[in-house]
Amino acid sequence: MTTVQPTALMSGRYQRAFTIAVVFLVAGWHLAGAGGQLLHNRSAYGSFAFQCAMWLFMALAIAAGSVLVLRGTPGWRPAWTVAMIALAASTAAAAASPAGQMLAVNWAWGSAGWIGVLVLLHRRFAELAWFLAALALATFGVLVWNGLDRTDLAGFLAVLAWSTGAQVAVAAGVKALDVAAGHAAAAARSEDAARERAATAEIIRAARHARWLALQESAVPVVAELAAGTADPGDAQVRIRCAVQAARLRRLLAESDEVPGSLMHELHASADVAERRGVAVEIETAGPLPQVPGSARRVITDAAIAILTAARSQARITLATVAAGIAVSFVADTGTVVRLPAAGEGVAIEQQQDGGMLWAEARWNSL
Amino acid sequence: MEQPVTVAIIEDHPVVTEGVASWIRSDPGQRVRLVQTARDLTELSAMPPAPVDVIILDLELSGELVTAQIPGLVAAGYRVVAFSGHSDPAIVMETLDNGAHAYVSKDEGRDHLVEAVLAAAADRPYVTRSQARAMLADQRPTRPALSQQERQALLLWFQGMSKASVGRRMSISENTVRQYISRARAKYAATGRTAPSKDALLARAIEDGVIKPAEIIPYQSFARTADGRPSEGAPGR
Repeated sequence: MTTVQPTALMSGRYQRAFTIAVVFLVAGWHLAGAGGQLLHNRSAYGSFAFQCAMWLFMALAIAAGSVLVLRGTPGWRPAWTVAMIALAASTAAAAASPAGQMLAVNWAWGSAGWIGVLVLLHRRFAELAWFLAALALATFGVLVWNGLDRTDLAGFLAVLAWSTGAQVAVAAGVKALDVAAGHAAAAARSEDAARERAATAEIIRAARHARWLALQESAVPVVAELAAGTADPGDAQVRIRCAVQAARLRRLLAESDEVPGSLMHELHASADVAERRGVAVEIETAGPLPQVPGSARRVITDAAIAILTAARSQARITLATVAAGIAVSFVADTGTVVRLPAAGEGVAIEQQQDGGMLWAEARWNSL
Repeated sequence: MEQPVTVAIIEDHPVVTEGVASWIRSDPGQRVRLVQTARDLTELSAMPPAPVDVIILDLELSGELVTAQIPGLVAAGYRVVAFSGHSDPAIVMETLDNGAHAYVSKDEGRDHLVEAVLAAAADRPYVTRSQARAMLADQRPTRPALSQQERQALLLWFQGMSKASVGRRMSISENTVRQYISRARAKYAATGRTAPSKDALLARAIEDGVIKPAEIIPYQSFARTADGRPSEGAPGR
């Protein structure tokens, strides 16, 4: 079972939730905050229609920006296009406001800043800082153009502190939540991994215990007979019994240092059956093996069972990584040609008979 | 009649020493003569010097891996054949990199140990299935580049086919199979740490026509200079 997906989803889901919250915040501000101020001061503007046009322009920018950020982190080009449109609209609206009253009737600065927060939120923090600075500078420029006095400067600083401060605070908060969500996802991931490791360890332990018990019944009597002298090492039958038990012991030792892939387990299970019939089965791997999907594994283990059933006294199974997949091979003294099950599911099967020895290879390709 | 190859066995389990001695005795050609046995390396050095061509070294003596002692033995002029219950590819690689001629796992002993000793005495490559496995499993960036044919021959040999069967499978002669496998081994002798045993193996491989000097290029062949020669490390080191 894979556990990576849910945790990756989890962190992604948090991010999306923050983004949606910011979309609502920005849209709400533009509609209620900026829109309210615009209507309230409608008589003060030189051209109310122009201010309305700028307001609509920014509303469109918010819509475009929302679509962008809801699709994922936007690239710098679309993000900055929307940001620059907001900057231009805000500066135009400020420039068209009556001189001397500009700050009092300005609705656009705040909205433009929020649009910047929206589109630059998931990009580097420095980008947002640069944008907010540019926006403040543009507004200050209009103020200077109109003729700056002390009250204007104080007002400018007050608005700057209030609105830009709020915007930076929201952006920093979302960033912090992003980081926290990342940590939470990582913690969940490592917890899942630990749980999976523990479960795997338990499976291995149980399997090993079962094999140990089986050895008590099979290997111990052979050793006892040899020690008592009732079994003759010169007897071919006894040698085969010894070989089988030795193979099982070897496998028991080998499994402690191998991560159990499902394919390995299934091949071991197939080998167990053959061993009960007195066939000495060796299983070896070369290198780290890729994961093989269940349907392909079934084709491979079917071939394994057919060959192991036909093996007379010995079989060797090897697993090796090849170009884009895995080569599982079988060498066994089957005596005659074995009819192998059909290939398929991305598995190609080849075989060659050399005297009494069969070689077969099941090759699974991930491509 | 050629002089038999003289060997020493370093092994901490007397029963294994006895088993190896019996394989040596049962060689029909009597091509190997056991001249010394020791339970560890200090015991060997304390013995009166005997003309030993090859040391059969158990890699685990009194519970400790002695792969790190191999360079010392090689420098002293011995050829080393490792004989071990381990089959971990990483240990096999380390053993060969340290200058052992061949690696024979305890499962392979009966069929391969005497032949491996004879090959080592002649500085010829000998590749057991556990060595083939280690080469196939090798993921290190410093591994030599093997040709597709060499890899395929190693893979089929590792899978358990006889060399004659590998030849039939690949539609080549058994001799060519040996050539491919030996060449892969020689390429390994050209990489990693330097050792007189590796030099001897390479020199012999070139002499036997197993490999051409130009083929002995370390894996980082992208670091070539304009004239096509590797920029660092002489080939055939």
